[in-house]
Amino acid sequence: MKNSRSYLRRSPSDKAIDAAVYAILIFVLAVSVYPLYLAVVLSFNEGVDAQLGGIYFWPRKFTLKNYEKFFTDFSWLKAMAVTLSRTVLGTTLTVLFTSFVAYGLSHRNLLGRRLYMKLFIFAMYFSGGVIPYYAVLRTLGLLDTFWVYIVPSLLNLFYVLVAISFFQGIPEELQEAARVDGAGELRIFFSVILPVAKPLLATIAIFISVQHWNSWYDSAFFVKNQDLMTLAYRMMAVLKKSDLNQVTQASAAAASAVRVTPMSVQLAAMVIATMPVVVVYPFFQKYIISGVTIGSVKG
Amino acid sequence: MKKGLLGRLWRQRHLQGFVWLGLVFLLIFHYLPMFGILIAFEDFKISSGILGMFTSEFVGLKHFIAFFTDYKFTELLANTLSLSVLKLLFSFPLPIFLALVLNECHVSWFKRVAQTVSYLPYFISWVIVAGFTQILLTNTGAVNDLLNSLLGVRLQFLTSPALFRPLAVITAMWKETGWWTIIFLAAIAGIDPTLYEAAEIDGASRLMRIWRITLPGISPTVTVVLILALGNLLGGGLSGSNFEQCYLMGNVGNYDASEILQTYILNIGLSKGRFSYATAAGLFQSAISVLLVFASNLVSKRVSGEGLF
Repeated sequence: MKNSRSYLRRSPSDKAIDAAVYAILIFVLAVSVYPLYLAVVLSFNEGVDAQLGGIYFWPRKFTLKNYEKFFTDFSWLKAMAVTLSRTVLGTTLTVLFTSFVAYGLSHRNLLGRRLYMKLFIFAMYFSGGVIPYYAVLRTLGLLDTFWVYIVPSLLNLFYVLVAISFFQGIPEELQEAARVDGAGELRIFFSVILPVAKPLLATIAIFISVQHWNSWYDSAFFVKNQDLMTLAYRMMAVLKKSDLNQVTQASAAAASAVRVTPMSVQLAAMVIATMPVVVVYPFFQKYIISGVTIGSVKG
Repeated sequence: MKKGLLGRLWRQRHLQGFVWLGLVFLLIFHYLPMFGILIAFEDFKISSGILGMFTSEFVGLKHFIAFFTDYKFTELLANTLSLSVLKLLFSFPLPIFLALVLNECHVSWFKRVAQTVSYLPYFISWVIVAGFTQILLTNTGAVNDLLNSLLGVRLQFLTSPALFRPLAVITAMWKETGWWTIIFLAAIAGIDPTLYEAAEIDGASRLMRIWRITLPGISPTVTVVLILALGNLLGGGLSGSNFEQCYLMGNVGNYDASEILQTYILNIGLSKGRFSYATAAGLFQSAISVLLVFASNLVSKRVSGEGLF
C-alpha cells in the first residue's frame, strides 16, 4: 500500500494513470452489470413488444405478466421446487460428508494415510470420462431419480483437501480434552470440530450450493422424467428451442393475444434464478475470497 | 493385543471408518469409471451395466481406428484446439491486467465495489449467460443497434460459425476475469511493501514500480495458474467452460465451429448409444490432456524452476 506522501507530489503521468485506472474500472463495472440489468428490464416488458428491439434502459410496455406466467406455470414451479430441494439437501449432505471424511484424513498418525491421500489426489486429476461414469450411474440405479443430483457429488475431493488443512490448524488440545472426557470420535467430530469449523463449512457450502443451483447437466443427460428437471435445465431447454424460431413463437404469441412469449417468461425465470445469488452474494465476500485463495495455495 | 500395528488400527478404528466411507465412494464414483476406459477396447453394451466391462468382447483398437478415420475427426480436433488456444491467449492475461489496475486504485471503497461486482458473473450459470447473449446479440439487440448506428452493419453473432469463437472468448472473459483476478490480487498483497517504499525513494515512477516490482512479485503465481490452465487446455482453460459454452451457444447455424470433442462425445455416446466409440474418443481427449499437464509442468520447470510436481 502507498502512504499519503505520494499524493502530495503527483506527476502528470501519475494523474494519467489514475484517470486510466478509473476509466477501466468504470468500464468493468458497467460491462459486468449491464446484461443482468437488461434482463431485469426486459422481464418487465411485454414479450411481443420486446422482440421489436430498441429497449436498453427502461421497459417500454411495462407488465408483470411474465412473472405471473412463471408463478402460475406448474412446470416452472416444479422445476423451482426440485432445484431448491437439491440445493438444500445436496449442500447439507456434501458439506457434512466431505468434512467428515476430511476429519479422518486430517489425523497425521492415521495408518495408511499417505496411500489414502495419494488415492484422493489421483482421483482429482484423472477421470474415466463421461461414458463409463454414465454406465456406473446406470448400474447403481441412479439414472432418472432425484438421487442422481445428490449422491454422486456427496464427496468433493477438492474441498476434502481444503478441509484437511483447516482441521490440521485446529489445536490438538481441543480433541484431546474431549477424548479424556470419554467422547467417541463421532461425538468429537460433531460437538468439538464442526462448531469451530464454521468458516470452513460456510466456504464449502457457498460453492457447493451455487453448483447445485446452477446445474443443468445432470438433468439433461442423466434424467428423463420431466417432473425432476431443474430450473437451469428448463431455461436451457427454452434457449435451445428459441435459437432460430423466435419469429414463429412471436406470431403464435400474438395470435393468442397473451403478449407473453416463451422468451419473455424465460427472462422472468432468468431473473428469478439469478436473484438468490445476487442477494446472498455480498454477505459472503469473506468466505468467497478465502475459498479461492485457499484453492490457489493447494493448486 | 493392544500393541503393534493391529492395536493401533483397533484404536483408530473409528477414524479409519470415516476414511473408508470416503474410499468406498471414491472407488464407486471415481475409480470404477477410470477402469471403465476398458469399454473403449470392447464392444460394450450398456444393458450389461458397468461390470459388463469385465465380460464384454475385446476388439482391440477398432473404435479408435473408427474415430481417427471418421470424416469429422480433423474438424473436431481443430475446433477444440482453436477454441481452447484462443481462450487461453485472450482470457489468460486479462485477470493479471485487472489485478494490476485494481491495485493502482487507491480509493478503497471504489476498489472493493469494482472488484466485488467484477466477479459476480462467475456465480451466474452459463445457461443464464447464454440467455444474456440472446437478448444482447440478436439481430435487433442492443449490440447490433449500436453497431448499426456506428458502422451501419448488423452481425449474426449467434448463428455464424466465423463469430462463434469470438463469442465464446468474450463471454468467457466476461464471466471469469473477475474471478481469477482474486488470485492475482492476493499474490500482489503478498509482495513486501518495503520494496515499493525503497523504489519510491529511488525515484522509480509508478509504471516502473508495476513493471519491476509487482509483475516479478506475482510471476510465481502466474506460472502456477498458467500450468493449471494449460493442463485443462482442452477443457477450456481455468474454469473448463468449453463444454457448456459449445453446448449452450452452439446451434445449427454455427455448428461448423461450435462442435467440439466433448459435445461430440456426449452426443454420440449418450444420444446415439455408441458407448464404446464415445469412450475411445474420450480417452483420446484425456490422453492429450495428461500429456499437456506433464509437458507444461516440464517446460515451466526448465524456464522458471517452478512446477506443480
